[in-house]
Amino acid sequence: MPDLNPTQYAVPLFVIAVLAEMIWAKLRAPEAYEPKDTLVSLSFGLGSTVAGALLGGFAVSLMLFAYEWRVVDFGPEWWAVWWAWPLCFVLDDLKYYWVHRAGHRIRWMWAAHVNHHSSQHYNLSTALRQTWTGPFTFGVLFAIPLVLLGFHPVMIAICGGFNLIYQFWIHTEAIKRMPGWFEAVMNTPSHHRVHHATNPRYLDTNYAGVFIVWDKLFGTFTPEVDDEKIRYGIVKQLGSFNLLWSVFHEWIGMIGDIWSAPWKHKLSYLLREPGWSHDGSRETSDMIRAKWLARQDAVAPPATSVADQNRIAGTQEAA
Amino acid sequence: MNLLIQTIGSLAAILALAGLAWWLKLGGTPRLASEADVSRAANEVEDGFCPVATVCDADGTAAIARDAGGRIMIIRRHGNRFAGRVLGPAASARFDGARLIVDPGEARFGAVALDLADAQAWAGAINRVSDTDDA
Repeated sequence: MPDLNPTQYAVPLFVIAVLAEMIWAKLRAPEAYEPKDTLVSLSFGLGSTVAGALLGGFAVSLMLFAYEWRVVDFGPEWWAVWWAWPLCFVLDDLKYYWVHRAGHRIRWMWAAHVNHHSSQHYNLSTALRQTWTGPFTFGVLFAIPLVLLGFHPVMIAICGGFNLIYQFWIHTEAIKRMPGWFEAVMNTPSHHRVHHATNPRYLDTNYAGVFIVWDKLFGTFTPEVDDEKIRYGIVKQLGSFNLLWSVFHEWIGMIGDIWSAPWKHKLSYLLREPGWSHDGSRETSDMIRAKWLARQDAVAPPATSVADQNRIAGTQEAA
Repeated sequence: MNLLIQTIGSLAAILALAGLAWWLKLGGTPRLASEADVSRAANEVEDGFCPVATVCDADGTAAIARDAGGRIMIIRRHGNRFAGRVLGPAASARFDGARLIVDPGEARFGAVALDLADAQAWAGAINRVSDTDDA
């Protein structure tokens, strides 16, 4: 059985790439980095590794348990079935799309994922801003169908590791656009900047990990527009560099809301989208976008098509 | 043991990279110096927030904005970006010498100290927000 943790081997590459991007920032965009923000982001990365090692046992056990009920058996040397690897990688990326989408649309999942978005910067250090509390969500359930299909949990973990490594390089403003064919199929810095933006037009879009085609397929794709500056972070910016607050703030907020809500609404604060409130006192991303769209409609110029401008027959009867 | 060695190595790399960002003087210190600056920052804090009155702190690190609906927003520099809050019932304003201290009532966001012209009027307006909401 392969004993490989791809992200572990990629760490030196991550360090060199961050170093290179800092030099680029020094020359071209010094505002792209902020030392305290960088320190918090990198600490998230380290804490995530430790938390995964300490808390990941339950997820591994559950997947190994489910593997006993697999539909297809790749045999005792499953790692030697070469075609299973690319197939697993693609299906794992599809799984990533859905777990990521849930991470934005279900507050319980968002409580763990918000960490990745709470920086107001977008650089390679942001990519390492990974969750510490993922094991406290039900994210592992999204992998169970793959296990039941017959993919060994180790194969899924290795594919997931390469998926994570791919996503590292797209967290940058240093690359504007990739070639057209690449932008059409793959997740890119441009597509992922959109995902990290708080501009209303971009909220809750581009959930892809490696292949942007999933967003196009499931109706969540939004292209980056060149004439609007992107604002990064979360709708209600933290305004704090406190690491522990950054890790746990949404959990604390969610538990507080569940505690104080009327009984019939408690579950909604766990399972509905971030920003939902039973008294309408807060805004979800859909509400923010709807208000923004209404403002756009209010300031949009009247229709100026040729037909509208030349209504010479407007009051005449047809011949 | 392996995890411990990795953790120590990673910690050293983290401190080195953050130190490098500091040494390269990355980041900068943007200022809120004009009505346009405050309007831009306010719209970043809450999309669509359109100030009709603004005031900037003397050193440009913070500002207050009020929209046509009477809502008041406090904005302060956070690293080399800005963060802010629309003030609600928990907010309060008080003076520490000549400086106005605006507390949005959110411990982790913290109180913001401002050196303002017309600070008395802004303090009154902020305290009326919480009084109105309390009523």
